[in-house]
Amino acid sequence: MVEIAEIAVSAAELKLGTEPVQGDGVRLSHADPKARYSLRARDAKVLAAVIGRALPGKIGDTDGGIACLGPDEWYALLPAGTDLPRVEGLPASVVDVSSRALGLVLEGPGALAVLSSGCPLDLAKMGVGRATRTVFETVEIVVWREAEDRWHVEVWRSFATWLWNAFLAVMPHAK
Amino acid sequence: MLLIHCPYCEEARPEVEFAYGGEAHIARPVDPSTYSDEQWEEFLYIRSNPRGRHHERWRHSHGCGRFFNAVRDTVTDVFETTYKAGEARK
Repeated sequence: MVEIAEIAVSAAELKLGTEPVQGDGVRLSHADPKARYSLRARDAKVLAAVIGRALPGKIGDTDGGIACLGPDEWYALLPAGTDLPRVEGLPASVVDVSSRALGLVLEGPGALAVLSSGCPLDLAKMGVGRATRTVFETVEIVVWREAEDRWHVEVWRSFATWLWNAFLAVMPHAK
Repeated sequence: MLLIHCPYCEEARPEVEFAYGGEAHIARPVDPSTYSDEQWEEFLYIRSNPRGRHHERWRHSHGCGRFFNAVRDTVTDVFETTYKAGEARK
């Protein structure tokens, strides 16, 4: 009979850290609590008028905490407690998705290498202040480059434990 | 990794962000209730399956989320061009 080695770590043993982890040249932590909104509209002007904020016009651009993810889709990442007006009677939608995702922050000169270990995008070419939806391995994330060495990663809650541990596993090797 | 140019993002993005959506430019029945079994079979199952230039739909599912059309060579796997949904066949 073939002996099958036990899996080193089972899913039940994975824990989502609560405290920041400082590695060599990279720090992993949770982002401050955020209010998150999914904003949809075919006509950006209608949506901008409803929420009373400017919307970035080009996919990948961000403006005042709002990222343009698609031609008719924006993602607002605002300080916790921020309340956006809801839409009534107009072809637009403002949906509170605050509890859907968690924000993880990678900081330091090694942060790019940690993210690039699982993300197929050429993140080195991504400008500061740009944001995009993409994948880390097979998990969908939204990457937001807040500064040269600071990356905010939005991930759906149920994937957060796995992503946290995936980052931890790579951090010792990121230089 | 294969890079696909998304006509909405206006960027070449990695293939794993995309999902294949089958042959493009297949018109839905205007009046479905009048379709015969043969016409339904044609619409649902019969595809051109060419060797060479193939018009197909792709979705940038882990990006902007949009469907678009692409022309890909089924022999070499080279993407000739991509264009927005609703534009004329290229």
